[in-house]
Amino acid sequence: MAGVQRDSTKSGLILPRRNFLVGTGLFAAAATGLTACAGGTSAGSPSAAASSSGGGGSGPKAIKILLWSHFVPSYDTWFDKWAKAWGSKNGVSVTVDHINQADLPARTAAEFSAGAGHDLIEWITPPSAYEPSVHDMADVVSEAVKKFGAQIPFCKLSSYNPHTGKYYGFCHTWTPDPGDYRKSLWTGIGMPTGPSSWADLLTGGAEIKAKRGVRMGIGMSSEVDSNMAARALIWSYGGAVQDVNENVTLNSPETIQAVEYMANLFKQTMTAEVFSWTAASNNQGLVAGQLSYILNSISAYRSAQTGNPNVAKDIFFTPALKGPSGTAIASQHVVRSYIMPKWAANVDSCKQFLMDLVGAAHDSVDQSQLYDFPAFKNPTVTTTLDGWLKSDPYKSDPPDKLALLATSEKWSTNVGHPGPANPAIGEIFDTNILPTMMADVARGKSSAKSAVASATQQCETVFKKWRKQKLVGGTK
Amino acid sequence: MSAIETGSAAPITTQPGTRRKRRLRDRDGMLGSAMLLPAVAYLIFFVGYPLVLAIMYAFSNVTVGSSKFDFVGLQTFSTAIHDPNFPGVVAHTFIITGISQAIVIVLCTVLAFVLAADFHGKWFVRFLVLMPWTTPVALGAIIWLWMLDSIFTPFDWFAQHLGILGPGGHLNMLGHAGLATGSVIAVQAWRTLPLATVIVLAGLSSIPRDIEEQSEVDGAGFWRRLFGIQLPMLAPIILVALLFGIVFTFSDMAVVFILTGGGPGDATQVLASWAFYKGINGGNLSVGAADALFMFPVLLGLAAVVLTMASRRRGD
Repeated sequence: MAGVQRDSTKSGLILPRRNFLVGTGLFAAAATGLTACAGGTSAGSPSAAASSSGGGGSGPKAIKILLWSHFVPSYDTWFDKWAKAWGSKNGVSVTVDHINQADLPARTAAEFSAGAGHDLIEWITPPSAYEPSVHDMADVVSEAVKKFGAQIPFCKLSSYNPHTGKYYGFCHTWTPDPGDYRKSLWTGIGMPTGPSSWADLLTGGAEIKAKRGVRMGIGMSSEVDSNMAARALIWSYGGAVQDVNENVTLNSPETIQAVEYMANLFKQTMTAEVFSWTAASNNQGLVAGQLSYILNSISAYRSAQTGNPNVAKDIFFTPALKGPSGTAIASQHVVRSYIMPKWAANVDSCKQFLMDLVGAAHDSVDQSQLYDFPAFKNPTVTTTLDGWLKSDPYKSDPPDKLALLATSEKWSTNVGHPGPANPAIGEIFDTNILPTMMADVARGKSSAKSAVASATQQCETVFKKWRKQKLVGGTK
Repeated sequence: MSAIETGSAAPITTQPGTRRKRRLRDRDGMLGSAMLLPAVAYLIFFVGYPLVLAIMYAFSNVTVGSSKFDFVGLQTFSTAIHDPNFPGVVAHTFIITGISQAIVIVLCTVLAFVLAADFHGKWFVRFLVLMPWTTPVALGAIIWLWMLDSIFTPFDWFAQHLGILGPGGHLNMLGHAGLATGSVIAVQAWRTLPLATVIVLAGLSSIPRDIEEQSEVDGAGFWRRLFGIQLPMLAPIILVALLFGIVFTFSDMAVVFILTGGGPGDATQVLASWAFYKGINGGNLSVGAADALFMFPVLLGLAAVVLTMASRRRGD
C-alpha cells in the first residue's frame, strides 16, 4: 500500500487515496442528485400524476395494461390501436405490454410481491389466487350485464368466487376447445365427420395409426392444453376434481376408468412425444400434417391456413366427445379475465376501459379471427358471430367449416366444473397434477388406481390450504 | 506515505476541521471499506434480503395473491415433504447435478490441457468452448428445446440416416424418462463446462514451469507428470470449478423448466423447478419457498466441504 502511494507522488498518474475518496464522494452525491432530479421529472409524468391523483383526481390519468401475446397476432395489432384511441378519447395515457402467456404467472407474482406494476392484468386461465389483493369487479360486471346482456355462467365461474361472493376478475371473452381432425384420414376409416365419442377416438385413431402411420396428439405434459384434455376426459366419464360444493371428489371409479382409457389411447394411437409437449406442440404437429386429431382451439387451423393451406383444407372440427354415459363436456380453451390490483390508481378509468372493451366485442371477436367468443351475450354480437361461423370471413373452405362452434357454449364449461374455478382448482391446474397423473399411468410408472389416489392426496392438500385462507368452500 | 503527509501539512495546521476530515480520509481502512461497500450492498440487497424473505415465507402461509402473513411453524415444510413427488424431485436434483458435474470435471480437465497446448486455430477452439458461457441460460435452453423438439429435431434425421431409426421414426428425446434426464444432464454439462475449463486452464498456467521442466529432466513421462505433478497441483482449482458447477446446476430451474417442464410426468423435476411450479405458477408461495430452502443446507454444506478441502490442499 505504501509503495503504491509513493509511486503516486512520483508519477502523478495514479490517483491518491484521499482524492479518490473525495472524487467518489462527489460522484455519489452527483449521482444521487441526478436520481432525485430524475425522480422529480418522473413525478410530472402522466403515470406519476395519475398515481397521485387517485381515482377521482383531475390531473392527467394513466393506466398500464399487461396481457398475453395473443395466439392470433392480428388481435394484438387491433387491441394496441384501440387502446390508444380509447386513451386519446378519454384523456387517459394508456400503456399496453404484451408477454408470452407462459410468463404471465411469474410476472404477475412479481408485481404483487412488489406491490406495484400494471393497473390491469389479463390472464387466460382463472386468476383466482389473486382474489385477496384485487378490486372487486362486481359493479363492472353488473353494469356490463345491464348494458350488453347476461354473462355466460361458466365465464362467471371463472372470475367469481361464490364462497366469498367476490368478482376477483372481469371475464370478457372465452374460447371453445373443439377437436381438430384431419378429414381425409378419418374418412378413410369410415368416420368422415370425425369421432363423436372417446370410444370412436380410440378405435379410429388406432386404425389410422395402423393403416396410415399417422399418430394422434393429446398432450400429457406441463402445459394448458394437456390440462384441458385431462379434464374433458374425466368429466365425460363422469368424474371431477371437485363437486359443486367444492369438496374433492377426484378419487372415483369414473376417474380411474378415464385414466385407464387415456393410457390405452396412448398405447394405441400416440407416441412418447405427448409427454414433453409445450402449448404450441400439438398445433405444430397438426399444421405439419403429422397428427390425425388434437384437442385445441381454432388457432392451429388459422396457423395452417397461412402456413400449410393444403392441411388447413383438411382440418375439420368436432364438438366435445361423449363418454360412456353419453356425457360430452369440454373445458373452455382460454378464458380471458382482467384483474385490477389494489395498487391501481385510476380505478374508474380502468373500469370504464373494461366496459368499453366489452362494447367493442364485435371488433375484438373479428380481429381475433373468431378465436375469441364474447362472455356477455350481447344479441347483436352473438347474431353477427353466428353469421360469421356459418360463413367464415377468414376464407375457410368450405365457408361453414366453423359452424359447429355456434353450439360450443352448450358443451363447454369452466376448469372447476361442476364447481367454480377457485384458487385450489387454479393451483391444481397450474401445477399440472392431472396431466402428470395421466402421464404416470400411460408411461407404466403406476396403476390408474394408485395414480388417482396420489393425485387426490395432492388435491386434498391444496384444497385444505386454500380453505384455511377462507377462499374455498366445502369440507373434504 | 510520507510524501502525501508532507504535502498536506500546512492546511492541517491551519484548519482544525479540515484536519479531522483528512485524518478520516487517510485512514487505511477507509479505501478498502469504500471499495467493498458496493459488493456488500449487492450481497445484502440481492442475496441476503431474498434469502431472509424466503426463510420468512417458508414459515408462513403466504400466497402470491395475499399480503397476509401468519406464522405457521414447520407446517409448510411438512406439506412439502409429504408431497408424493418430493422424494423423486430430491433424487432427480442430486442425480442431474452429480452426473453432469462428473462429466464436466473430466471434460474441463481434458479441455484445459488441450487449450494449454500450442496448435493452429487455438483461438477458434477457445472461442467455441466459451460460447455456451456467453449464452444466457434461458436462451441456451430454448435452443436445445428446438434441437430436441419431438417433430422437428435434426437428431431424428441423423438417426434415420444412420439406420438407428426406421423411416419416419422419432427418438422423442424429451418424451422418455431416461432420454429426457440425459438431455437435461447434457445441457447442464454444456452450459457449465466453459467456466470450469477457464478455471482449470488458469490453474494449469499457474503451475511453475520449472517444476515441470525439472520432472522432464528427471525422465518423467506424460502420465507420470499428469498424475504425479499436474493433477495434484490442480486439485484445489478443480475443486473450486466443481463447487461453482454444483452450485449453478443444483440451483438452476431454467433448463428443466424450459426443456422438459419437469416431464415426462415428474421424471426430470428438480427442487428449483418444483419450487417455481408450486410457489409461482401454483400461487403457493410458502410451500414454494420451503421447497427452495431444502437446497440451502445442501449448498452451504457443499461449499463448506469443498472450500475446506481446497484450503487444506493449499496448506499441503
